[in-house]
Amino acid sequence: MAATSAGRVLTLCRQFQNAFRISTTLSAQQSTVTLTKGRSYPHRLPSTLLSSSWSCNLDLAVQCRPLHTTISRRGLEEFFDIPENWGEATVKSGAPWTAKQLRTKSNEDLHKLWYVLLKEKNMLLTIEQESKRQGQQMPSPERLKKIDRSIRRLDTVVKERENALRLLQTGQERARPGDWRKDVFGRIYWYRFREHALPWYMNRRYKRKRFYTPAFVAPHLRLRLEKYLRAKTRKQKKESENQAVLKEKFPQMQAKSQ
Amino acid sequence: MASRLIYPLYQMGNPQLRIFRPPFFLTLVRPGKEQPPDVVQFRIPMVMTKFDVRNYVEKIYNVPVGAVRTRIQYAQPLVIGTNKKRNHLNQKVKRPDYKVAYVQLAQQQTFEFPDIFPKKDVKSAEGSVEEMQEKFMEDEEQRQKPDPRRGGVTEWFGL
Repeated sequence: MAATSAGRVLTLCRQFQNAFRISTTLSAQQSTVTLTKGRSYPHRLPSTLLSSSWSCNLDLAVQCRPLHTTISRRGLEEFFDIPENWGEATVKSGAPWTAKQLRTKSNEDLHKLWYVLLKEKNMLLTIEQESKRQGQQMPSPERLKKIDRSIRRLDTVVKERENALRLLQTGQERARPGDWRKDVFGRIYWYRFREHALPWYMNRRYKRKRFYTPAFVAPHLRLRLEKYLRAKTRKQKKESENQAVLKEKFPQMQAKSQ
Repeated sequence: MASRLIYPLYQMGNPQLRIFRPPFFLTLVRPGKEQPPDVVQFRIPMVMTKFDVRNYVEKIYNVPVGAVRTRIQYAQPLVIGTNKKRNHLNQKVKRPDYKVAYVQLAQQQTFEFPDIFPKKDVKSAEGSVEEMQEKFMEDEEQRQKPDPRRGGVTEWFGL
């Protein structure tokens, strides 16, 4: 495996990722395996993928390069940084993953990247807690923010893909079913369904939650509507007055575009 | 799965629930009280159980796990006994509670929490601000030191 003395930079930072792809002509999804130089977390999956592809590849007239991927056996050491970085004031790290970059990756790659980011975040949290315990400064705390952003963006991309698939296959816009319902205050809101073991008419707690507006709330509804309309007109009037004053001061001013 | 997990209802005969892309993060902590050599202490999210912790550590970190024990730690305020702490908006504040897991390693493995902040002799770069500052501080310290010719005798008294 490549030397582990290279920094953690390489796992996270796209610019330093000198990915070399080992691809066969079999099929795109099965064969692309992206490996990063230096700090890497080769999981069992790449080696199994490779072995299956190599075994049926021998008949094809394609150049096969035998590759061995060692499974990382570092265990609990992965909760800490590499020993060269212990005691340093700053640790170099690359830019976080952007959503645009993540959208180019396949689902398997995203799945693996999730675990890479998860382990990295665990490591950073461990260091942070230990630094608080020892009364020392954590080296490069901005790494936590970068990892958080990467994880959030990965989540967004996966959600987008799931949404698209669901829309294409079933036409459902939402993953979780729901309905427009009225609450006791007369407000209409989107109620999201939950799973229950009983039907609703046998669920006592559910029946206590009223999805209708009682009759005595009707005057309050009207008052609330009036208040809302009054506030709206007030705002519009203020805006138009403001525009008029500005027009007087600056006659050449263009009207504000909505 | 995503950040806001909704677990499906389990009824007997349902398939085993699986979570892909778990949004749970573990923090390895140095034990406050002395622990046996094969015990590793974690801070885990409140929603995780012993089984979750075991699967997490075994599958993601390849570490053989024997037993897992958990407890919930109430986050004490700085002044233990009062709960009157308020922030600049006069809202009552409380530090979040957390769950602690004691994971006992299998196969007679041991774990010792390492020292992550060893003292390193840092030499500042030549001609940099840090180097000048350090030199200045060294000169100041030298000036403050008593006369070495007096052999440790104080300068309070004359001669």
